[in-house]
Amino acid sequence: MLIEFLPLWMFALVCLVLMLGYPVAFTLAGVALLFAGGGIIAGVFDPALLQTFPSRIYGIMSNYTLVAVPLFVFMGVMLEKSRLAETLLGNMARACGRLPGGLGLSVILVGAMLAASTGIVGATVVTMGLMSLPTMLRHGYHPSLATGTICATGTLGQIIPPSIALVLLGDVLSSAYQQAQLRLGVLNLQTVSVGDLFVGAVIPGLLLVGLYIIYLLAVARLAPQKAPSLPQDLDSDADLPSAPTGGRLWLSLVPVLVLITLVLGSILTGVATPTEAAGVGAMGAMILAAGQRQLNRERLLDVMRSTTRISAMIFTILLGASLFSLVFRGFGGEELIHELFNNLPGGHIGALLVVMLVIFLLGFILDFIEITFVVVPIVGPVLLAMGIDPIWLGIMIAINLQTSFLTPPFGFALFYLRGVAPDSVATADIYRGVAPFIALQLCLLAALALWPQLVTWLPSVMR
Amino acid sequence: MLRPDPMSTSAPPVHTSADTPPRLLRVLDAITEISGRSTAWLTLIMVIATVTVVVLRRLFGIGSIGLQESVTYMHAAVFLLGAGYALKHGAQVRVDVLYRRFSRRSQAWIDAIGAIVFTLPFAIFVGWISLNFVTGSWQVAERSTDAGGLAYVYLLKSLVLVFAVSLTLAALAELVRASWTLIAGPQASAGGAHHVN
Repeated sequence: MLIEFLPLWMFALVCLVLMLGYPVAFTLAGVALLFAGGGIIAGVFDPALLQTFPSRIYGIMSNYTLVAVPLFVFMGVMLEKSRLAETLLGNMARACGRLPGGLGLSVILVGAMLAASTGIVGATVVTMGLMSLPTMLRHGYHPSLATGTICATGTLGQIIPPSIALVLLGDVLSSAYQQAQLRLGVLNLQTVSVGDLFVGAVIPGLLLVGLYIIYLLAVARLAPQKAPSLPQDLDSDADLPSAPTGGRLWLSLVPVLVLITLVLGSILTGVATPTEAAGVGAMGAMILAAGQRQLNRERLLDVMRSTTRISAMIFTILLGASLFSLVFRGFGGEELIHELFNNLPGGHIGALLVVMLVIFLLGFILDFIEITFVVVPIVGPVLLAMGIDPIWLGIMIAINLQTSFLTPPFGFALFYLRGVAPDSVATADIYRGVAPFIALQLCLLAALALWPQLVTWLPSVMR
Repeated sequence: MLRPDPMSTSAPPVHTSADTPPRLLRVLDAITEISGRSTAWLTLIMVIATVTVVVLRRLFGIGSIGLQESVTYMHAAVFLLGAGYALKHGAQVRVDVLYRRFSRRSQAWIDAIGAIVFTLPFAIFVGWISLNFVTGSWQVAERSTDAGGLAYVYLLKSLVLVFAVSLTLAALAELVRASWTLIAGPQASAGGAHHVN
């Protein structure tokens, strides 16, 4: 009994140890090694399994799809550090500021663009919080509405392609899908790619942005005091960059839009692989920054070093998680999960609900990367073998996690915003502010569950 | 969800002679810092090489498997050599819900024990288990299986050993840093590179 459930004990223990705050990558690897060592001594773990670890490492090193990750990180860090978004937000706010809720609308639109171009959620929340929260508050926006809008918009980087999260998820799902088909004895193997996931995310991503905008405009109409329109004489406002003209707005908007369209378009139409598009996007971001006279030696060094640290962090977690799942399998964890799922009431819907709930809860303590690398390889093959569409599953997981990151009291986005929000904004304001957005997220999840075509239709047309 | 990189600008700590870090720590940190900063250049070269591959193929119809593989090599080098560098700068993600509320002393205890129980065993395990994997590749001077690919697969695989060594050094540095905090008092290492926001 104890041995049989050993993999689950291992999982529970690692979650507990992670709470102590030692770096995730090494905690995963270390706990796995301790269990493997104990298992070898007790004679319930085959030491030969560990010999396969070097080829797993090599598989990660030589995976061409994953090369897109450092390139996308480079692009995002470059755009973030060259303050492109700030100019964009200033100009947008001037253009739609006089509408009711216009400032909030520009925050959502710029945030969505920033999310699409950087794909780094924490960075988007912090950047948007620093840039737009003081301005929104000063112009009389209700603190709840302002903080809720910023948090929700910041997490869009998770789902709007090209998102780093979807690259990682796409890679993990594609091998899970292979395994599921092998298990079912399918001879004519189907594949799912990062590009498929990007295409699948387009409609849900746009729907989400649309829902945010509708909500904001509805509040502005029903309770104008919460989202007032800006005064006419914006030029006295020291916070926004100078001299608004239509031309200037387009001048700041067009390069970013071109970059996103280029990167995304070349992936979606299949002209370029995600890796190639990411490289071109990173180069484009450098050219944009240079064009805005924001690129100098210091900043370039800063971007390169930041990129190195962030991608090393991501891949160290991948190495740790890979050792963890190797040992998890060695103790028979996969069969155990399979058995548990098959005994659940409600068939694949029951299994899916349980997985979604577990992922939502894990989202409170673990990041997207850890969940993608640790949980999805374990549950993915089992769920996919039940006949669930891989693209749909990927998008559901991504939106589910995005919701989890917004949910008080543990949502990551809330911590980031709290870190940069002035003390005049109460934490309770932030919690109240995100509540309606969480409701919108749940509506979207329900809609995608009822009409999976919202995800699967576009990929089926593009193929 | 990726977190913002915590280390962007940090002023170098001003040490009086009394709280100069141990010599061993300074040497280890210097190794990690120099190798990390040198590795960082590869990210820029990767961007340029990827664009070159795309331009050559789309505009001139020239396929360059070798150049494309070199991007993969650089990518592997960046994350394998950057792992210790990220650890030094506190960029390795932690679940810091509780950690950031602990005293510096408790944090130092967690870091010291974690280095001994988790990171060092992992680094040494990777080096030990990969030894045959790498030497086997050297013995046959392994090369790419693709036509036009690079002939240096044995060098690529050797990066796993470099990773093991550089991570061991970085983890030792963290162990020394944490022990020093515990011995010399919490002020000793405050302001050092290892900070959590």
